[in-house]
Amino acid sequence: MSVRLTEGAVEALFKGVEVNNPMLQLLSIRQIGAPSASPRFRLMMSDGQHSLSSVILATQLNYLIEQNLLVPNCVCLLKKIIINTLADGRHVVIVMDLEILQSAEETGGKIGNPTPCSADGKNSSPKKVSSSTSVSASPPSAAVPGTSYSSSNTAFSASGGRGRGFTGKAPVNASPMKASPMKASPMKASPMKASPMKASPMKASPMKTSPMKASPMKASPMKASPMKASPMKASPMKASPMKASPMKASPMKANSASPAKAMSIANLNPYQSKWTIRARVTNKSNIRTWSNSRGEGKLFSFEIVDESGEIKITAFNNEVDKFFSLVEQGKVYYISKATLKAANKQYTTLKHEYEMTLHANSSIVPCDDIQGVPTLNCDFVPIAELENRDKDAIIDLIGVCKSAEDVSRITTKSSREVSKRELSLIDTTGKVVTVTLWGDEAEKFDSSGQPVVAIKGARLSDFGGRSLSALFSSTVMVNPDIPEAFRLRAWYDKEGYALDSQSLTETRSSVSGSRMNWKMLSDVKSESMGHGEKADYFSCIATVVYIRKENCLYQACPSADCNKKVIDQQNGLYRCEKCNRDFPNFKYRLLLSANLADFGDNQWVTCFQETAEVLLGHSAEALGQLRDTDEDAFDEVFQKATFRTHIFKNRAKLETYNDECRVKVTVLEVLPVNHREYSRRLLSNIHKLAS
Amino acid sequence: MAGILDVPKPRINCSMLSQHINRAVCFVGRVEKVYPTGKTFSVSDGEGNNATVELNEPLEEELSGIVEVIGMVSNKGAIMATTYDVLREDKGTPFDLELYNEAVKLIHDFPQHYPFEVAASG
Repeated sequence: MSVRLTEGAVEALFKGVEVNNPMLQLLSIRQIGAPSASPRFRLMMSDGQHSLSSVILATQLNYLIEQNLLVPNCVCLLKKIIINTLADGRHVVIVMDLEILQSAEETGGKIGNPTPCSADGKNSSPKKVSSSTSVSASPPSAAVPGTSYSSSNTAFSASGGRGRGFTGKAPVNASPMKASPMKASPMKASPMKASPMKASPMKASPMKTSPMKASPMKASPMKASPMKASPMKASPMKASPMKASPMKASPMKANSASPAKAMSIANLNPYQSKWTIRARVTNKSNIRTWSNSRGEGKLFSFEIVDESGEIKITAFNNEVDKFFSLVEQGKVYYISKATLKAANKQYTTLKHEYEMTLHANSSIVPCDDIQGVPTLNCDFVPIAELENRDKDAIIDLIGVCKSAEDVSRITTKSSREVSKRELSLIDTTGKVVTVTLWGDEAEKFDSSGQPVVAIKGARLSDFGGRSLSALFSSTVMVNPDIPEAFRLRAWYDKEGYALDSQSLTETRSSVSGSRMNWKMLSDVKSESMGHGEKADYFSCIATVVYIRKENCLYQACPSADCNKKVIDQQNGLYRCEKCNRDFPNFKYRLLLSANLADFGDNQWVTCFQETAEVLLGHSAEALGQLRDTDEDAFDEVFQKATFRTHIFKNRAKLETYNDECRVKVTVLEVLPVNHREYSRRLLSNIHKLAS
Repeated sequence: MAGILDVPKPRINCSMLSQHINRAVCFVGRVEKVYPTGKTFSVSDGEGNNATVELNEPLEEELSGIVEVIGMVSNKGAIMATTYDVLREDKGTPFDLELYNEAVKLIHDFPQHYPFEVAASG
């Protein structure tokens, strides 16, 4: 071999001493980790004198193995490594970057006769090994430690050590002397002759010798393995079968990680607890309190971004107090020591597999070196494309706020009062969409000057066609400092403001919750509307085909808010039973009985004063006068009102009148037909039926 | 002129022009550019595609906005207009050309539900 290996490097690494750019030969590769997780590879590296199996390859380098670039016997230069110390003092080397200097073919074979490095007390190794299994997650061949010595120890003990390293195959070192067995036995416990350990460890391996050791790696072995070896718990590797939940427990602690080396967010996983990340807070939520059957608490969450990706962080109870004021949106921090767990997709819109929870030991430190950390990771969707997205999708949007409604207060179904505000956003596609802001954001929003508004994590709904709603977790940015915002601003000033754009959100009328329940008149009978305990509310488009002229007006009590029919006392006075008074006058009120029809069915409905006046186009008083004075004109009013089409918002209810049960429909609101919205609805219904 | 008014004139957009060569059609679109001769102008449909309309006599006044053209489709895909009508933009609801385009596509996608081919003269 023409390359010289860095002798002594293995021993140094084994002891946890950092070595700069060591040149080592790869002896064997072992895959560890749970089958479901992405693979992690544990390497056995040699410097010609010793071999170290507690070396784990960082996942971003997995491709080297998958593409067969990194094969046993090749010589590599470890350009960047991190040394983790496990709880029990063993060390695991994580290779973050390496360069292959000489291929396996060129190298020929194993250089030298390296002996496995093992910690004192081979037996101990086994234990480590087990931990190492956890290591499997992080392949640093930590396994080796311990095992190396094992050989010397009794088979068991010895093996224990070895096995660990490489779960399964070459029980690391198991055959301490050989060392070679490793290579050979990459998988499944190649029963190192010398040390039964090796072979066995892996899962099933008979292990007589060292069940423990070997197995640690894959994690599976662990169970079986006698555990003496106690596979490296330390190995945070996913597999860490080790009872010990390696991760949390993992020795990481030992490492006094200095924030100097920041990990990338994309690489965060629950199996590695010693990490530090450097990222910017993009989205900070308010403190939210809850109280349910299990108690109450408070939380706040925020999302962070770095060059590699984004992740969500939540803090509960005590941590809320600790961190809420410290964390500010837009600032960059070093964060370390938080718990990682699988992301609950229900509560987050980010794409990261995991999410973080802060705990008492978490640390957040402001960072000054913000170079490279992106400001915001937004995936803006052009408004015109919103129609193609699914309802309830979470998207990011940027646009110029053409107009904004005033803040309105709404009472929600849970009887809470919230403020809401609707803005119209337009973007370069020329389309406009309505975005609804809630709560504080609604009140704080300043729409003057047509600002560029960017929203991250808004929910798309098919309310009124297509519209967006800001969620609790959304971030609304006004005139943000990103290139898209400048582009939009320039476009808008040049041409956008003049565009007569089409809004995707149509018809605010008859909007809001239950009212938009579109039905056909035939549905009233077919769905037995109104038969339930509660009244059924629905909207429909129908044409008035007949209005009863007789008894459309009645004399009502003139006092405000009392609409009770008054009795004509015949002496010029009218008596109201409800108010218990006599009045010299009355007010006319309308009570129309009308028949509505659509293509399928017709329906008798009742219209009270307000809706009747809209239908007829005259006030009750005027009609009252007309009835007494000009019969023809009175008739004509009714004629004109017939065969007009409107949008009706109705209530259907089963009512009993003199022992008779009938479904009565009352008109709550009459609105003019918005043809565009109607057409769009029809089109979408047709498409739905056609597919 | 009388002849064309008796014949069913399917509503089309630009993409359907080629299928209606030598047939009477009705085309609704937005006026894009009027040629200097005044006898030709281009229109765009709801999808943004352009078509050319040729008149018998030059235009007397400036044409803009949305027009409805009735005519025959020539071999080259232009519309030889026999009559046109401008849709007023100052009154009523503004005409939604994209929505109209959707409706036109629907009519052609489901001819069984929209049997327009019944002779107009009955």
